[in-house]
Amino acid sequence: MAGTTQVKKLTKGDIFRSWVIWLFFSHANYNWERLQGGAFAHAMIPIIRRLYSTPEEIRAALKRHLVFFNTEPNWGGMIHGITISMEEARANGAEIDDDTINAVKSGLMGPMAGVGDSITQGLVFPVMLSIGIGMASQGSLVGPFLYVLVVAAYLWGFGWVAYYQGYVQGQQLITRLLESGLLDKVRLVATILGSAVVGALAATFVRVSTPLTFTSGQTKIEVQKAILDRLMPGLLPLATVLIVFWLVKRGVSPTKIMVGIFVVSLVGKLLKVF
Amino acid sequence: MQEVTIGAGAAFLIAFGYYFGNSPFAANLGFSAVIRPLIAGTLVGFILGKPVEGAMIGGTINLIYLGFISAGGATPADIGLAGWLGTALALAGNLEPAAALALAAPLGAIGVVKRNATMSINALFVHAADRYAEEPNPSKVALMNWLPAQLINFALSFTPVYLGALLGGKVVGQVVQSVPPWVIGWLTVAGGMLAALGIALNLRFLLRLETLPYFLLGFIVAVTAKLNLVLIAVAATALALLHVTFTERRAS
Repeated sequence: MAGTTQVKKLTKGDIFRSWVIWLFFSHANYNWERLQGGAFAHAMIPIIRRLYSTPEEIRAALKRHLVFFNTEPNWGGMIHGITISMEEARANGAEIDDDTINAVKSGLMGPMAGVGDSITQGLVFPVMLSIGIGMASQGSLVGPFLYVLVVAAYLWGFGWVAYYQGYVQGQQLITRLLESGLLDKVRLVATILGSAVVGALAATFVRVSTPLTFTSGQTKIEVQKAILDRLMPGLLPLATVLIVFWLVKRGVSPTKIMVGIFVVSLVGKLLKVF
Repeated sequence: MQEVTIGAGAAFLIAFGYYFGNSPFAANLGFSAVIRPLIAGTLVGFILGKPVEGAMIGGTINLIYLGFISAGGATPADIGLAGWLGTALALAGNLEPAAALALAAPLGAIGVVKRNATMSINALFVHAADRYAEEPNPSKVALMNWLPAQLINFALSFTPVYLGALLGGKVVGQVVQSVPPWVIGWLTVAGGMLAALGIALNLRFLLRLETLPYFLLGFIVAVTAKLNLVLIAVAATALALLHVTFTERRAS
């Protein structure tokens, strides 16, 4: 092996090039058969080029990474970092076979997708969107710009750190991350923040009110103003959100709920309830 | 609000923006920002000379996709189509934001067909990559990860939105004027309720017994004090840090 003559060492630039490819092209050929498989191989090409020189080695490495792969692309970048460190060790003569690399990749992609999706798509995007939507509704363009700024800082900043630290720290990184309580704490803070912001958003944007009136003796009573608003302002919107949430929790599909809302609002409009 | 007309140039930019958001060329800000209706609506607004109105409409459309999560390729809606074409048609038809939401939601549902189709076609190109790996030709393996898929993606994304904005933009104003007022009233009521769907979908990840008080606090403060959302977010962060500090001390 070439490792006997000279140690093959990747530079920070190699890792950065690999990350940039992943950042841009992780979903460029997204498909049902291998999802991000082709993209994983694509991101490994700068690494493969640096570490391997014979056609046999290059062929084997490309095929090794063209298999099924799917994870959350930002947190999941740690897996690329770890894989890169394994490839480097292998190129220098360590006994790491294809099965080991495959096992690490496929073992980690599920957990990282779970953590990553719940934080990136479940917290960061909706919380920042909520704030942006709230500001936009008041006629401010700061909201959309703020959203792009924060999301770019998160995806590019955190994304690179995760990728590079995966390479530097290897598999211990994920073990440490999952075992230390830090992740749970961050998630709890974000969940509370999200709950409050989404609550405020529900109050601002869910619009349900009734034009119903009835007459009692001489006086005309408006149900909305005289009864519901005195009971609690925002009662109908809150009830609507909780009912829909209950349906979602029971597993009713969003499309069915959407159709249901169109039907209920049509019937309500025709009966003059809404 | 003055109606806007969508010319060929504007339709081109809108269609291109929609493709750009679905393409890999936005450094991961496509999926996370450009296709989000809040951002899409703002950009459409700039293209049509009504940025503030665009942001308002886009933001409202975005409400139903607040709980939007794409996992393992299974996507419940094409939020980019709802955001880009939805805002364009709403501005052309001079629609209220709530009615725009009711118009955009079906667009988002229809758009999923394109995504499912491309994800099937794209499997062909990863087989081509297998053959280039055999040679081995790393550059061609890289090319197979984006070029053919993106040519198809461009054709299937750009064309419908270009035609939709150009032709739809012409008729939507007339259609809106000719429909009876109760239909617009219906769509507005539906729009007001649809916002609850996006919020409920997002609450799946947030709402537990532990976080319910914070949800209710956020709601009550917004109803009564009419504070802006940034202020509520800052206050909620403070409460969250207190929550973590005190529950931790009790546990230890």
